[in-house]
Amino acid sequence: MSVQPDVSIDYHGPVAVVSLTGEIDIVQAQALRERLLGAVRNEDHALVADLTQVTYLDSVGVSLMFELAERLAERQLRLAVVLPEGGLVERVLRIVNVGSVAAIHRSLDDAIADVGG
Amino acid sequence: MSSREAADRLRDLQRITDAALAYLPLEELLNELLERVVGILGVDTAAILLLEDDDSTLAARAAKGLEEEVERGVRIPVGRGFAGRIAATRQPVHILNLDEFEVVNPILRQRGLRSMLGVPLLVEGGVVGVMHVGTLTERAFGDDDTDLLQRAGDRAALAISSRLTERERGLADALQRSLIPRLPDLPAVALAGRYLPASAARLGGDWYDAFPLPDGRLGMAIGDVVGHGFHAAAIMGQLRSGLRAYALDGMTPREVLERLSRLLRQLEPGRTATLVYLVLDAHGGAFTVASAGHPPPLIHPPGGEPRYVDIPGSVPLGAARHVSYEDARCELEPGTALVLYTDGLVEQAGESLDVGLARLGATVRDGVEDLEDLSDSIIDDLLPDGARNDDAALLIVRALPMSEELTAEFPAEVESIPLMRRLLGRWLAEAGATVAEIDDLALASAEAAANAIEHAYGLAAGVVELRASRSPDHVIKVAVRDFGSWRQPRGTNRGRGLMLMEGLTDGVEVIRRDEGTTVEMFRRIGSKAA
Repeated sequence: MSVQPDVSIDYHGPVAVVSLTGEIDIVQAQALRERLLGAVRNEDHALVADLTQVTYLDSVGVSLMFELAERLAERQLRLAVVLPEGGLVERVLRIVNVGSVAAIHRSLDDAIADVGG
Repeated sequence: MSSREAADRLRDLQRITDAALAYLPLEELLNELLERVVGILGVDTAAILLLEDDDSTLAARAAKGLEEEVERGVRIPVGRGFAGRIAATRQPVHILNLDEFEVVNPILRQRGLRSMLGVPLLVEGGVVGVMHVGTLTERAFGDDDTDLLQRAGDRAALAISSRLTERERGLADALQRSLIPRLPDLPAVALAGRYLPASAARLGGDWYDAFPLPDGRLGMAIGDVVGHGFHAAAIMGQLRSGLRAYALDGMTPREVLERLSRLLRQLEPGRTATLVYLVLDAHGGAFTVASAGHPPPLIHPPGGEPRYVDIPGSVPLGAARHVSYEDARCELEPGTALVLYTDGLVEQAGESLDVGLARLGATVRDGVEDLEDLSDSIIDDLLPDGARNDDAALLIVRALPMSEELTAEFPAEVESIPLMRRLLGRWLAEAGATVAEIDDLALASAEAAANAIEHAYGLAAGVVELRASRSPDHVIKVAVRDFGSWRQPRGTNRGRGLMLMEGLTDGVEVIRRDEGTTVEMFRRIGSKAA
């Protein structure tokens, strides 16, 4: 059990998958920023952010997601977010309307299939 | 013995135990003592060697007729050679013919010594050094000679122990003071720590530490570096710093211990230490713990029986090249006392460890609520005469019961926010909120606090106050207040922060006054789904 946030990066063909874990908040979000923004390779078509294991996401974490979306949009890349239903993170992301910049999926496979095609 | 001989002997003894010697500085006293011994016993050489801090080496400290011994800084391993044997056996040794004896110190042969007599310098039954005399011609020392030399040795030992302890005490106090941590002041959490140096006034390797982690949880450690003296204490200080560094990097207890073991092996191969490190979510009711061969923490639930935490068996830090430790997770109901200690607290000579552990359990069970008082009673019960041969450390933590209304103050810095939302979360849980309600209100309050911290004070230090209460119709009101000047939140972060505060609660009110701003948030619990 760790609440310290972490990022792991994996590649499914031309889709970069970043899996975030733990609590992404005002104190620790900054430490994730570079790794998150650096995950996309030149050859990638899209990025999937898997937030299934994220237990807390405040406005600084939200801004990090929007910054990621902007960076991807500048390069004509797509963003999908994987969110379990009914948790705090989903409520937060709905309030700030993250759906305006990313496709929301319930499973990683769905998300990869969506943006990878 | 004739009356003349008896009178001479009495005079000799008086010269050796002369009270006036006490006024001399130690070096002069030892030299004067050796001078008198040479005269009284009619010997050619006399020397004093003292035990070093490592407990395994004797170093020449004063000499007559053997001055090179001191000048060259002769060092003799305990157990070897003439002086080494005296220290190891704590018995006088008499050598008639040095040619037939294993001599470590070449100066003895170079000087042409033939016969030697030596006695141990004893303080409270422990060896602090050796005093010896020698003759260039063969001499069979008698019991009277041995007796007189032992008296001179006792006089030297007395002087050495009082001067050493005086000097050591000053240094030890300074070092220990610098190593005893200032415990963090956390809302609704009580913490108390004790350190007892061994009465032999020697520094020990025990320590405790408690510090907030970036995620709002509390890191707690207690450890025991094997050995005594400044060296063990210095190693302890290095381990303590290493532990904090690894812990602040977000490592779990298991990972912290594995790295510390590697660190200790590099600092000093062969040195070992036992340690318990745990990460306590004081307001979340759980902790994660790993142990490196250290006695297990004791937990005492309110109104329940104390029990020792079941931690997987493990080896001390530094004991093996590749060690792995295990994390164990334990639940902790609010109000439970968690007691960490070192073996110096529970171990008594001639009794099994279980007896000491049972005694600690009983004292904690019958103990008072207040942790400072509880610590005092534990020390009184377990170490009524103070720590004797081993130092002892104790660290206790308890999440305090929540009151009907929550009030807490935090330094106005972002690092306060994780702790603040954990505290509020626990209060909300006790007020009957669901997990989703707790999550929403804690996040909304964290946003309000972030606003206050980023906009109320600029760069000046300040505080943020958190209050929470519940109305009879189950409406929770959380108020986050600052005492700075209002400035419109700016930047998209804070804009989204306001959005989240509004989206996660039933209502937000911002009240601006000259003396500061209060953000009030309301949420009915138990009826409305998020």
